[in-house]
Amino acid sequence: MDFGYTPQQEALRREVRQFIRDNMTPDLAEEMDVHANAERPRGTSPSAHEFYRKIYERGWLGITYPKAYGGQGGDRLTQYIVEEEFTRAGVNIALNGSGAPAIMAAGTEEQKQYYIPRLIKREISFCLGFTEPHAGADLANLKCSAVRDGDYYVINGQKMYTTAAHSATHIYLMARTDRSAPKHDGISIFLIPMDAPGITVRPLWTIQNNPTAPLPTTYGASRTNETFFDDVRVHKSCLLGEENKGWRVGSMGLNLDRVGASRYLISVRRDEDIVNFVKSTRFDGFEPGKDPAIRDKIAEMWIEAQVCRLMTMRSMSIVERGGKFTYEGSAEKVWAPEHGVRTTEAITQMLGPYGSLLRTSPHAIEDGVFAHNVMGSFQSGINHGSVQVMRDQVARRGLGMPSSRKSRKAEG
Amino acid sequence: MDVLMNDDERMIADSAREFMDAECPPALVRAMETDPLGYPKELWAKVAELGWQGMCLPENSGGSNMPLVYLGLVLREAGRALAPLPLHSTAVASLAIARDGSEAQQATYLPDVVAGKSIMTWALTEDDPRLIPEAVKMQAKAHGEHFVLNGVKLFVDNFPAADHVLVAARTESGSKGAQGLTIFIVDAKSKGISEKGLITLAKDRQSEVTFKDVSVPKANIIGEVGAGWPIIERMLDRGTALLCAQMVGAARKDIEMAFEYAKFREAFGQPIGAFQSVQHMCADMQMWVDGAELLTFEALWKLDQGLPASVEVSQAKAFCNEKCEAAVRQSQTIHGGIGFMMEFDLQLWFRRVSAWSMRLGTAFEHRARIAHALIDFPGTVILGRPVPVVPESA
Repeated sequence: MDFGYTPQQEALRREVRQFIRDNMTPDLAEEMDVHANAERPRGTSPSAHEFYRKIYERGWLGITYPKAYGGQGGDRLTQYIVEEEFTRAGVNIALNGSGAPAIMAAGTEEQKQYYIPRLIKREISFCLGFTEPHAGADLANLKCSAVRDGDYYVINGQKMYTTAAHSATHIYLMARTDRSAPKHDGISIFLIPMDAPGITVRPLWTIQNNPTAPLPTTYGASRTNETFFDDVRVHKSCLLGEENKGWRVGSMGLNLDRVGASRYLISVRRDEDIVNFVKSTRFDGFEPGKDPAIRDKIAEMWIEAQVCRLMTMRSMSIVERGGKFTYEGSAEKVWAPEHGVRTTEAITQMLGPYGSLLRTSPHAIEDGVFAHNVMGSFQSGINHGSVQVMRDQVARRGLGMPSSRKSRKAEG
Repeated sequence: MDVLMNDDERMIADSAREFMDAECPPALVRAMETDPLGYPKELWAKVAELGWQGMCLPENSGGSNMPLVYLGLVLREAGRALAPLPLHSTAVASLAIARDGSEAQQATYLPDVVAGKSIMTWALTEDDPRLIPEAVKMQAKAHGEHFVLNGVKLFVDNFPAADHVLVAARTESGSKGAQGLTIFIVDAKSKGISEKGLITLAKDRQSEVTFKDVSVPKANIIGEVGAGWPIIERMLDRGTALLCAQMVGAARKDIEMAFEYAKFREAFGQPIGAFQSVQHMCADMQMWVDGAELLTFEALWKLDQGLPASVEVSQAKAFCNEKCEAAVRQSQTIHGGIGFMMEFDLQLWFRRVSAWSMRLGTAFEHRARIAHALIDFPGTVILGRPVPVVPESA
């Protein structure tokens, strides 16, 4: 066991911090922020491109990807360290949610050569087209269809919660290619440009919608989308992996999305915020940092946050050794999001009515970030596999629990 | 950074588990609940042959000078088997002598510990159960080349079996707090010591120990007169982290029994483990014990590195106290009535994890320590970095 970083890794961390201090301006921070105002596509201005180019030149984009595809051929822990520092500064350098892991694993040589370097340099970006109105947790129930027509597929259907569909250049789409097969066996994955004729994106406004959303907010953007496919014709070369084998490709990509620095950090940053806030705050005669009940709760949440960190480290250690998760990724995806909710709710009870003030309100504290998080903290427990589905996986894959009579029947 | 066991660590843990599986069945655990000494001498001699008592003790006393993480792994496996051995108290006290005692003291006491000939424990707590210097009232008055100890200690582990006990007492009359506290190595059979057994949930050996004019040579003081508290703090940090390892081992075995039970016990026409309500309980139990284990070994690792580890130790114990306890309680729930039966073994684990959750600091005490480190010092805290905040030299 080794719970520390090497001097080289510590030096790298300092180097990244210094780079951020040297290059990040307030304007750029707002432009780059992971969860900035969702109406404006993020990180697409000339100054943002310039910033990413500098990061790329330092060798900090696509660290774990092979050099042949524009990456650095580095290890996952290096990626983690760099990603953690950039995420703290509000900059997304990770390639999760991008389809890149799945393309690397299942793509043709041509697809890898085309997509991976462009994704790494952030010249293109993917949104995720998985969920449908009647296929959420039970994703394999999806209906969006892709029908083969010569060298083409014709796609029809509706995708929900396609976050960033309005700014992404491509969509990573899961569609049904065989209606007669059992539900998991008739699914394929497609990589499709968003400008393909027949694609329509409509905004869905979330409860977090606030035209002057606080920066940086922890949980998600205020806008997501629904995306419609009306007779969208795509060439068969858009298929990722084999036809009807898309379920495995898609779920593998999701598994890799569930771990990493950014997923863990979104669940623990409020813990740091509240500690740093109570250290320096008093409301007239009330000093929250001196209240024994508040101190006890803060410490309790801090310990939970450490468990989030250590579970992430465990996932890193497994991947770094070339192993596979049995349940560890799923456990992390239960523990971290639920902690994020617990700590957010605990903080509201420390702050009382101040906790409800949004950014634009008089007397708002910390840019209203705590109030904003009340509306968004549970999002991380819903997306990319709900915590209930994740618990099923911990129990069944990790502990070998039998499946229920009902699901045994359903699976035939 | 690699939080998984390496090959050496796995070998130590695996061999300890095999040994315990062979030598420490639940029947032995039950038998020792009513044994006056509370441990089987043959098994104690066997673990000495394996080198467990001397694992982290210096080589010049016959020990192996291994990291605490290794001892943590052994205690995890001993905890898994509920080994009725005075291993934890002996390790805690002997490590205090090894780390803070004089060369003469090490040479006097440690070889016997390594050989399995000396059992050790410590006596700190009195009426006030908190692990703070203010709670120590026992007086030690200088008298020639001796100090004379008077007072009553509570919750002393394994005293009936102990050969030596480390005792904290006030050598400065009227002193309060950390000032004026001294730690003595006391022969447990000294004249003037009397013992009364406490009857614990775990049915292990804890005692009230009364010291009446007990004379202890000055040569038996660890460190300097009046400067014992930092030594006690270090001893408590090591002891607490090692107790966490023992709890994690016991809780892990306990929940594994629940998982197995849920797979074959049928209700409403299917194994109860096929019901999601039960599955989700099991998933939580696994995550709690995993979290406890990660926190525990991070704390032990930091102690091994000589890094500040008090916060990490407190993180581990506060979490173990609540989450290992919750895990074994859910295990009782999954077992239903049978888990409540004395003849069924599960209760052996439940009672011990519960009792251990009440020793060496409550969740409130440990969280107060964490809050102090987080809040009462300047600087911006960042998760994964040391607290109290150490300014970064950029």
